[in-house]
Amino acid sequence: MMGHLILRVVIKLLFAPILLFGLYVQFHGDYGPGGGFQAGVIFASAFILFALGFGIKETQKRLPPTVLPFFMVFGLLLYALTGVLGLFMGGNFLDYYVLAPDSHHNAGQHIGILLVEFGVGVAVFSAMMTIFYFFAGREPEIHDADW
Amino acid sequence: MDFFAQLPALPVVVPFVAAPLALLMPPGRMPWLWATLVSWVSFGLSLLLLEQVWINGPITYAMGGWAAPLGIIYYIDLANALVLSLVTGIAAVVFPYAYNSVRDEINHSQTPGFYTALLLCLAGLTGVTMTGDAFNVFVFLEVSSLATYTLVAMGAGRDRRALTAAFNYLVMGTIGATFFVIGIGLLYQATGTLNMLDLHERLAGQDNRLVKAAFAFIITGLGLKLAMLPLHLWLPPAYTYAPSAITAFLAATATKVAVYIMLRFLFTVFGFDFPFLRVALDFFLVLGIAGMFIASLAAVFQDDVKMLLAYSSVAQIGYMLLGISLGTVDGVAASLIHVVNHAFIKAALFMAVGIVVLRLGSHQLRAFQGLATRMPWTSWGIVVAGLSLVGVPATVGFVSKYALLSAVFAKGGTMEIIAGFLILASSLLAVVYMMRIIKVMLEPVPTEGPFARNIAAPPLMMRLMLWIMVGANIYFGLQAQPVIAIAQKAAATLLGVDSGEAF
Amino acid sequence: MNDPVSFATEFHPSSSPIFFVELAILTLLVITSIAMLRMRRLFGVVMLSGIYSFLSAAFFVALDAVDVAFTEAAVGAGISTVLMLSAMLLTARREKPYAPGHAALAAVVCVIVGGALIYATLDAPPYGDAAAPANSYVGQAYVDRSVVEISMPNIVTTVLASYRSFDTMGEVAVIFTAALAVMLLLGIGSDRGGKEVRDVPRLVGREEEAQDLSGKPNLDDGGKAPSPKGGAS
Repeated sequence: MMGHLILRVVIKLLFAPILLFGLYVQFHGDYGPGGGFQAGVIFASAFILFALGFGIKETQKRLPPTVLPFFMVFGLLLYALTGVLGLFMGGNFLDYYVLAPDSHHNAGQHIGILLVEFGVGVAVFSAMMTIFYFFAGREPEIHDADW
Repeated sequence: MDFFAQLPALPVVVPFVAAPLALLMPPGRMPWLWATLVSWVSFGLSLLLLEQVWINGPITYAMGGWAAPLGIIYYIDLANALVLSLVTGIAAVVFPYAYNSVRDEINHSQTPGFYTALLLCLAGLTGVTMTGDAFNVFVFLEVSSLATYTLVAMGAGRDRRALTAAFNYLVMGTIGATFFVIGIGLLYQATGTLNMLDLHERLAGQDNRLVKAAFAFIITGLGLKLAMLPLHLWLPPAYTYAPSAITAFLAATATKVAVYIMLRFLFTVFGFDFPFLRVALDFFLVLGIAGMFIASLAAVFQDDVKMLLAYSSVAQIGYMLLGISLGTVDGVAASLIHVVNHAFIKAALFMAVGIVVLRLGSHQLRAFQGLATRMPWTSWGIVVAGLSLVGVPATVGFVSKYALLSAVFAKGGTMEIIAGFLILASSLLAVVYMMRIIKVMLEPVPTEGPFARNIAAPPLMMRLMLWIMVGANIYFGLQAQPVIAIAQKAAATLLGVDSGEAF
Repeated sequence: MNDPVSFATEFHPSSSPIFFVELAILTLLVITSIAMLRMRRLFGVVMLSGIYSFLSAAFFVALDAVDVAFTEAAVGAGISTVLMLSAMLLTARREKPYAPGHAALAAVVCVIVGGALIYATLDAPPYGDAAAPANSYVGQAYVDRSVVEISMPNIVTTVLASYRSFDTMGEVAVIFTAALAVMLLLGIGSDRGGKEVRDVPRLVGREEEAQDLSGKPNLDDGGKAPSPKGGAS
């Protein structure tokens, strides 16, 4: 399969920067536009782009579909358990102040937001990839004629 | 951690945290055990909460420690606590019941996902019930609805029509949710807040086109969710083709929670200060009566028992709407009583049908031939729950019919008096369609045809859970006072928001 | 523009040049949606829906809602388009000719709903009005308080992840449930056993390509071939 050579080279070049941008959106969400939702989608879009160029099998070798449920569960639980942590540290559910009660610059809020946003990012990324795999995985290969 | 201070969060948090964990479990018995355990814990927590509210009055709980209107609060009065206990209670009986039925109907490898969806549905329903924030209602309604669509579609293993039914339900449910969220958006535009109590305060004196449109969108959206008469078409197929345990759970909880949310928006958010409310209540009177008759009539002519009972559910929603339409404490209380009692009735009936499906593989009326000799316990369950549906004394059905009739006659308008007689008339239709089932059950066991085979006794667990539910029908029929008292007080709180007594 | 004084004294959106940009985007949105309605080839419809999302994202930027615009561009234009295309590949390429049975009723419902929305806007606070409830009450409180209480520059993040973080947890659960639903309905153990399908109807209307494809054997198993109803896998 030597078709799409330029496409594949470009995808390989873009892959890492897209992931990097996803991380930037994830962790810079406190300061600029962005956050877990967008970051998760951007992260997923890197893999989807890869799948479009190299086929679903190649992608599944690098990101096996079997790990995705674990990511999904991890993401959702990270969010919920951050809330539960608040419960155990003496606050209400999802109360972040108790995570760092002595801070004068709201460090607890920052920690809490960072954790839950990371949970959102992981959950959204893995959910998007799951949906994509199950849809695209049913079609043997996308023929050129199909586009 | 102060347990009682954190109690209001727990009935949601427990199933919410438990749900994703179920996905990682090995298929088979373990996810079921987990879901059952969680449902029991949630039920216990809900009862504790109900007790707390009964003793101490409404409880407010600020999520994340942020007070309203900036944050999301849980506001729990008797109405929430009652519906919450109902939802978790039904879950606590249906989840154990589900094991054999799910093993038969759902692919083995899918059980972890199935129970995850079931727990998410439970978490969504409890979340909707407890929240005091209008937008939070939408979010958790979506969690429970998405899980529900999936669960209904899981019936495809047995009957592929489940896919169409689930798709219809998805489209109608999503339109309902969209209308609801448009209404919330318009309310936010008019008031700048999403907290229900705050909305009520800031809506006072506002009677402009923005608020009227918001009201119409919210009521229509919720009408779709609770299968109000012209918007009920998704319900019968969804209930018919869903897996047995799911039908029993949904019939007893999903529409009930929608009725509760309707009450909350009608009386807590808008209230009688809002002149348009009267118009809506008049509509409910007409739609309620129409629902009672049209759906009951449709039920009479069904040859599929699940379809028959589903139409009967639509008819029963008519009774609830009728109670709401009175706009009196008695009327709303009757509605709440019927929400609880009808949940017991329909859960029992659908659980019984599920046992028949497990053993005979069909919910056609023909499959019930000779059931009285084949499965005496299950048959008696159907008979008792059926009598309860009709409204025979010493059952819960009688309690709610009686409460509704006395509320109707206490109101005393001409329309109401007519409505009272129509309630009695429509009960006769219930007699007709239940008698059809019972008559077939009493016929001799078929000697030929697809159902002429020897069947094993149904699993003990299913029969036990069925009889707990049937027992609830009788017990709360004889000991009606607790539910009536809670419903009366809850209705007074719901309507009393206007007089300023509640807060 | 005959009366500049009134513009100077009170805020009026049409006085700002961005107003014309917004107007242009909204016009394009209407054109795109009409084109989507009239298009019968689903590939074109999917592409147009991507365009629709990008236009909405641009509109959100014009409204200074950068976070929403970002999400709309990433989710609406990016992921949804890919997912719609994947779904299209599994089903059909052309819209089926619609049955005219319920068209009249549907039209009436649409007109009523649209009418209700327009009716609502008649009493809505003026666009961009700083005194409107949505801008002055809780919205203003977030602006004032998040600096002190959370000290994070992006107010949207503070609202999403702290003030209303319980809602966000619900939204994550919604996405989780959506993925779970796809897993259950299309995955291993589902009705079709997760095996690849090639529904016959999707070739309808593309007979010439159907001929092409029928010549080729389907060698590839799509990367996963779980046993159809097996619990062993």
